[in-house]
This record gives sequence, structure tokens and C-alpha cells, in this order.
Amino acid sequence: MPENTLQNTDFIFDKSLSFRGKAEKVYKFQRQNSPLYHTFSDHFSQPDSESFDPYSIPLLPIRAFKEAEVIVQNRKPELLFKSSGTGSLNRSKHLVGDADIYRRSIITEFTRYFDLSNSAILAYTPGYNENRHSSLIWMLNYLISKSGSDFSQFLPVGEPIDPALVQQIADKGEALILFGAAFGLMDVIEMGDADLPAGSVIIETGGMKTHRREMTKHELRHALAEGFQIPSENIHSEYGMCELLSQCYSIGSEWFKTPPWVDVTIRDPEDSTRICKPGEEGKIGIIDLANIYSCPFILTDDRGIVNEDGLFRVVGRWDSAELRGCNFLIDSD
Amino acid sequence: MDNQTVDRLNRLDDAITEWLRPDNHDLKEAIDRTVNQKLFSFEDVKHQILVLKKTLNKRDILRWAEPILKHDDKIEEKNILCLHAGNLPLVGLQDLLATIIAGHHYRGKISRKDPYLLPSLLKILAKKGLVEQNSWTTDLNDFAHQKAEAVLFAGSTNSVNDVFNELENMGIATSNTPALVRTADFSIAYIEDSALETMNQLAESVFRYGGKGCRSVAMVVAPFSLKSKKCGFTDYIEQFLMKAPQHDKAPPALYQRYAYNKAVGIDQAWLDNFLIEETDLRPSIPYVLHWVQGGKEKLGELIQKYSAGLQTVYVKDPTVQIDGVNPELLVDAQQPPIYWKPDGVDSVEWLLHLNEQK
Repeated sequence: MPENTLQNTDFIFDKSLSFRGKAEKVYKFQRQNSPLYHTFSDHFSQPDSESFDPYSIPLLPIRAFKEAEVIVQNRKPELLFKSSGTGSLNRSKHLVGDADIYRRSIITEFTRYFDLSNSAILAYTPGYNENRHSSLIWMLNYLISKSGSDFSQFLPVGEPIDPALVQQIADKGEALILFGAAFGLMDVIEMGDADLPAGSVIIETGGMKTHRREMTKHELRHALAEGFQIPSENIHSEYGMCELLSQCYSIGSEWFKTPPWVDVTIRDPEDSTRICKPGEEGKIGIIDLANIYSCPFILTDDRGIVNEDGLFRVVGRWDSAELRGCNFLIDSD
Repeated sequence: MDNQTVDRLNRLDDAITEWLRPDNHDLKEAIDRTVNQKLFSFEDVKHQILVLKKTLNKRDILRWAEPILKHDDKIEEKNILCLHAGNLPLVGLQDLLATIIAGHHYRGKISRKDPYLLPSLLKILAKKGLVEQNSWTTDLNDFAHQKAEAVLFAGSTNSVNDVFNELENMGIATSNTPALVRTADFSIAYIEDSALETMNQLAESVFRYGGKGCRSVAMVVAPFSLKSKKCGFTDYIEQFLMKAPQHDKAPPALYQRYAYNKAVGIDQAWLDNFLIEETDLRPSIPYVLHWVQGGKEKLGELIQKYSAGLQTVYVKDPTVQIDGVNPELLVDAQQPPIYWKPDGVDSVEWLLHLNEQK
């Protein structure tokens, strides 16, 4: 077995194994095979090998995906994902060492909540050919290809959803799952005649800030439910990014649940080794074992909180300028 | 020029003279309490007081007050709320003086991080009738339901809404209250040589007050790389820190950034509580100096890119011209004249034209 390859990555998705054990295996693999992660983690206390604690694994700042090639040594990428953004310097690059892991991650988590065999996936996003380097579009393309419905497809952006298509899906007795960025879905509503059958599901994929008017998640959920004439419990969200091969879903609420091979903690922006208590805002830290060949231990720049049940909510972006902060305004003490 | 204004400026000058007199025990006690409570280092407070002794002279105050002195109409006196920051000793002094010079009623929220120094002046100003007794507090609740007609403060862009929400909840101000909000948070130094004087001035401009404050240099543009001058520059820094040790310790995030830089191959210099790194990223966290190799073209690019947070561009040579900005001298980075314009706005002028402000 080459050193940079695991004989079998099935263990990542194996529910019978503990997260702790899997994380330890992936951590050791990374230390052995990623010089970048090895150098980074060398500057932190090493997790205790006697009683390995995944929470003591050092988390690499996500900007590494902009500033370096994050992939284990001697492994050729099978896929390349790039974040959206202008200018090559500002875009993250995710070199995916094993496309099958991504496929498995997508299907396993999606089917945990949704019936792919009897659902029509409608993606109100640019099509795959227009954006081959988007991990989201790749995921949607894959879900469309795997769905059991002939009606699954990318919808033309800038046009209302064809009521005849919606009717055909309903007539066939299939569930309708509409994916889209928040601003795109709002555009559909504004185009009018956006009613969907009552059992339809909407999965918004973020992107609220790019809409003409900034909205809170609560306002968005309410607007989508009203605009598409479906119950708000059918409005879900997906949390994913180019740097991650796993997605988290929030089902009918603003709180995201992680897949079993992912762990999310909130980290103190002034010390990423300190885990914030439930309700305390900080940077979202992610262990995504599906990222085994790039970097599974990531400190994002997203601002979030966890609740007592371990679910997390994305509050916004962590604007690091406020850490430098010219001044202190109204003292918090 | 009306007599009231002249009288006010004379009383202000008297108050400042009295405050900065070596035998002012109130100020001495304020310094002692500040240092003993480890709010700021003695060296930083001393530096600030020495700078004020040099810059708070009648000539400069009159220069700053010129628009008021030239103003023919009577200025309508208004209640001005100053939310003073506490990241540097006496950093809110300029807003206090601007309010008095413009002839308005001062109300000050004193920072709990700097609770003694400004009040030692306020007591004298109150004695001279320039501010009212009880016009300052460290607890904003004390001003609840006292309407402010304008607000002066400095802080991050993100915090502006939170501040106004809090002021609105307390019945002090609304989002319609005119506000002079300063959000710039870092400065750039442009140097062309590594001569002794340049490097000493650079060290002072970066490391004074532990790099805090919007006038502190957080990015340097130089024709040479960090790597080529690392050893020499760190010697200057060490010399500076021997004289003025850094008061605050850096959070663990700084060392974690060092680890990150090492992993991705960014050239850097680690100084225990400070990090110098060769990147042109927007200065965002404290205790980091960004070193950028380049000339005027690169500087221009950075000025444009980071205009939102950029306070000042400093140059060593007074003859150097920079497109689009009025550079200041590097030597003045930590000793600005009292009339300097944070975020490019003259606060006295702003207060003079309060009725036109939004």
C-alpha cells in the first residue's frame, strides 16, 4: 500500500466505529502524509495517544486553501474545486484526492433526510457546464444523476419555474426538492407564480448577503415559505463549502446537524484550541474526515454558535478587522 | 471673532497648562493608578503625556479653532456625546477638546480601560466652566434618556449598528442622530531605505502601544524583502522594546498564525508577542506587521485595496509624493498634532457644521 493512500477509506462512513477512533486514524495519516499539516500541527501540543481526544487536534486556518496546495504528498487530484469569488488570488482551491469519497459523502448524508429514489431534484443554480469547478454544482449534478426522477435537472437561472414541470412532478407522485442560493430563490419568488405543491422541499445553500437586501435567516425562511406557499418546516438549509467534502443540513430550522463523520465545534478566535461553550459565538471549527486527502481539520472564518444539543448555527462571517479593532466602544464589562 | 469664543479658548489653554504642570498631583495620581492597575505601561503613558506637552500648545489650538474663530454666526450649542475608546492612553482627548473648541456641551462615556487620565483633565475643565460637573461617566446608563444631539466615536464598521442599538435602547440617540464615526484601524509606512533613522522611526511607529491604535503602522512597503532585513530590523525592535516593553501579551492566536505561516511557507519573524510576516493581507489582527516588498506602484495598489480601513500613509522623506493621499511623516506617527484628522475628518469643522450632518 503506498504511504499516501489508505487501503480502504470505508471506515470514514462506518457507523459502528467511534468518531474518536476514526479521527485518530485520520490525524495520524495526515501527520505522516501532509508536510503542510505536519509542520502546522508540530507547533501545538500533540493529542494524547493514550486517550486520544479529537477536540485537541489543531485546526488549520481555512485560508490555507487559498495560499497553498492542500493535498497529501504524491497524491494526484481527481477533482479540482474552486470557491466563487473574483480574481484567482481570492479563490480557494480544493484538490480532491478521491472523488468516490465525495460521492459517498454526498449520498450518505442526503439520503439520511431525503428520499432520492422518489424525488425530483431541481437546481436553481448555474448548470454544471457553466461552473465545473463549483463543489456545490458538482454535488447537485451528482444528485440529479442519482435521483430516480426523469424530471431532475438544472433550471434556467433568471426564468420562473415552469408550472408545467411542477405539475408533471406532482402528477407522477414524486417529491419536489428545490435547491438554490437564497438570493436566487428570492428572485424566483419575485418573478411571480412560484407556488409549489405542499409537500415540496426547499434547500437553500446560503448566499443571503448577495441579495439586494440583506435578510436574517428567520426572515428568509418566512419569505421562502410564503413565496413558495409551502410550510416553513419544509424549508431546509445546506452548509457546505468548496474546502469541505461533506455537507451539513438544517432540517426545518436554523440549526445544522453534522454527518456522523463530521464534528463541528466553535473556537475562540483568540485561541483556536479553546472550545466555546454552547451559546458563545466564535469561529466554526470543523473536522471533516471525508477531507482525508486534503485537510480534515479546519478552522473556518464563519461565525457560529452551538446549542446544548450539539447543533450549530451560522451567524455570519468572522470579520477579523474587529479583532484588531481601532477602538473599544461600549465596554462590555 | 466673538469674545465668547476667545474667552473659551483662553480658558481651555489655561486648563491644559494647569493639567500638564509637573506639580499636578491629580494627574500624577491618575498615572499611578493607571499603571498600578496595569491598564497601560508607564512608558506608554509617559510617552503620551510628553507628546501632549509638545503638541497641546496655544498656537496649534488656535490653528485648529480657526474655522470657529472665523465663523460669524453664533453657533447653536448642542449636547455632544463622546464615546471614548480605551485602546491607548488618552485616545479620546481629541474629541473632548473638539467639543469644547466648537462651543458645544460635552458628555463623555469614559472607557473603563482608561478611567483615570481623562477625568484628571475634566475636573480642571469643570472648574473653569468648560464642561459641566457630572458630564462624564464610565457607565453609559448614567446618561439614559438624556438625548444627545450628536455622537462622536471610533470603532469597527461592524460595531456601528450595535452601538446605535444600545444608544437607542437607552433613549440617548437614534439612528438619525448625527454621528461622526471613525472606522479606520491601521496605517501604512512607505520606506525607501534601511538607514538607522528610518528603522528607528519604523520601530517606534509599529511597536509603540503594542501596535494598537489606528495611527500605528501595521503594514510597511519597502523596496527590500523582510528576509533581507530581518536581522537588522529585529535589532532595532529589540532596542525599542528595551525602552518601551510591550504591555499586553499577544493571544495564542498569534503563535497559531506563526505555525500557519511556517506551514504554508510565508516568510516571517517571531518576536514572542509580535509577528512580522511577508504578506500583503489586510491588517486584521493585533500584533502583526505585514511586510510588503515593493515600490510606489505596489503602495498605490494597497492604498486602493484597503482604503476602507486605512488611516494614514507615512513617508520618511517629506518630499515624497503619493498619488491620492496626503502622506504624513513617519516620525510623527505616534505624536500627531492635535488638529490631525482621523479618517480625514476635522472634528472641529464637523461640529461647526453640525446642522448639516446626517
